Amino acid sequence: MSDIETNIIDIISKEGSIDREKIKPESTLKDLEIPSLDVVQIVFAIEDKFNISIPYNDPGFDVNSVAGLVTCVEKLVAQNKPAA
Amino acid sequence: MTRRVVITGYGAISPLGHTAAETWAGLAAGRTGIGPIVNVPSEPLIVKIAGEVRDFDPAAHLDPKRLPLLDRFSQFALVAAKEAIEISGLRASAENSARIGVVVGSGAMGMNTIEDGYRRMFLEGMTRAHPLTVPRLMTSAPCSQIAIQYGFHGPSFSVSSACASANHAIAQALGTIRQGQADAMLAGGTEAPLSFGGYKIWEALRVMATDTCRPFSKDRRGMVLGEGAAMFVLESLEHAQRRGATIFAELAGAGMSSDAGDIVLPDPAGAARAMSLALSDAGVNPEEVDYVNAHGTGTPANDRMETDALHRVFGAHARALAVSSSKSMLGHSLGASGALELIAVVKAFETGILAPTANFTEPDPECDLDYLPNKAREHKIGVAISNSFAFGGLNAVLTLRRFN
Repeated sequence: MSDIETNIIDIISKEGSIDREKIKPESTLKDLEIPSLDVVQIVFAIEDKFNISIPYNDPGFDVNSVAGLVTCVEKLVAQNKPAA
Repeated sequence: MTRRVVITGYGAISPLGHTAAETWAGLAAGRTGIGPIVNVPSEPLIVKIAGEVRDFDPAAHLDPKRLPLLDRFSQFALVAAKEAIEISGLRASAENSARIGVVVGSGAMGMNTIEDGYRRMFLEGMTRAHPLTVPRLMTSAPCSQIAIQYGFHGPSFSVSSACASANHAIAQALGTIRQGQADAMLAGGTEAPLSFGGYKIWEALRVMATDTCRPFSKDRRGMVLGEGAAMFVLESLEHAQRRGATIFAELAGAGMSSDAGDIVLPDPAGAARAMSLALSDAGVNPEEVDYVNAHGTGTPANDRMETDALHRVFGAHARALAVSSSKSMLGHSLGASGALELIAVVKAFETGILAPTANFTEPDPECDLDYLPNKAREHKIGVAISNSFAFGGLNAVLTLRRFN
């Protein structure tokens, strides 16, 4: 498991109050029954952690699953894109 | 026929304690909740005193999962609402929930949330705001949070009129029940303005005392900021009687007016009009009033103006009134103040004790009424009024009557 993935699962676990063991890479936030208000907090915490800005309503960025979030963050960190 | 409205529950959190009982014990003892500021660094402040709610641990009162959504002013409102609802025994059910609403007054909205957000952006260079900033800071947040907590589906909204917000909120709840739009309403006020910036903006107005709050006393120097919340369960008389609720007092009337004059200087004509309207709305003659819980901010201008207005409304009977200012002990909690002061009025009916005006040292020839200086008085009252006169000339006065 990459550092990014570990960090993202930590954040989902904390912000969503979900046992870490229940969170799998293939889990969607819907599967995990995370309310929408917690989703925005998770995205916010991830942005803060990696100092990135995750675009919203952009089909190129999937923020609805753990794997999607990991891909997003890897892509944005690789671009070393500073927060807009 | 107008539906009569009664008070069947009350709750409070204030500088004198975290319950209505503790708040009242302090008020009746003439003990001041004003003291040196401890919740924010006071070194850079000119005014270093306030009526702070001390030793408040939100997690001890509220679901930790909901705390990220709750600015301090919502936390206070929920704590006071819980006590009021427990005392009243009111419960929402499938049959009645649409007939119970919530009206909450607040003058300053979620100041702490605004300040935290600005600090992040302007000082710490963060580029994005916290995603819960809007639901935390909105003026109506405490109202929504109470409705959500208790499942009240009736008419619910917030009211903002600076320092008269709570009285206007309670007046609106009274009207809502009278008009038959609800059978019961949770109503009151909440305020948590004591952030660093909150202190600074009030300092800038130059209306603040640096020693303490001495309403109606000759050496008064101004107001002292406070914070807290108080909430009441109001019900139509039939609804309260049908469920066998304990009735603490009747909310007999309300009077509202606007000075439409100066944005800060109060006008005795506007204040007097609100008091007269509150009496006529309740069907009460001025001579029947025993007790006035004054707006009594402790500024030279307010207390002189309020005394003048009392003379205009009550004539010779003004001298027979017992008048006191709870702000001498609670500080001025702005949009919550009218609700916290209504605790003093409701408890006066319940206990036969009138809370004093604390910190009173010397009579002022321009303030020539009986202000209950420093000592509570035993007095079984029949009718009382509670005054709130806001910056911007927005006045709201409530009339309460003993319920027999």
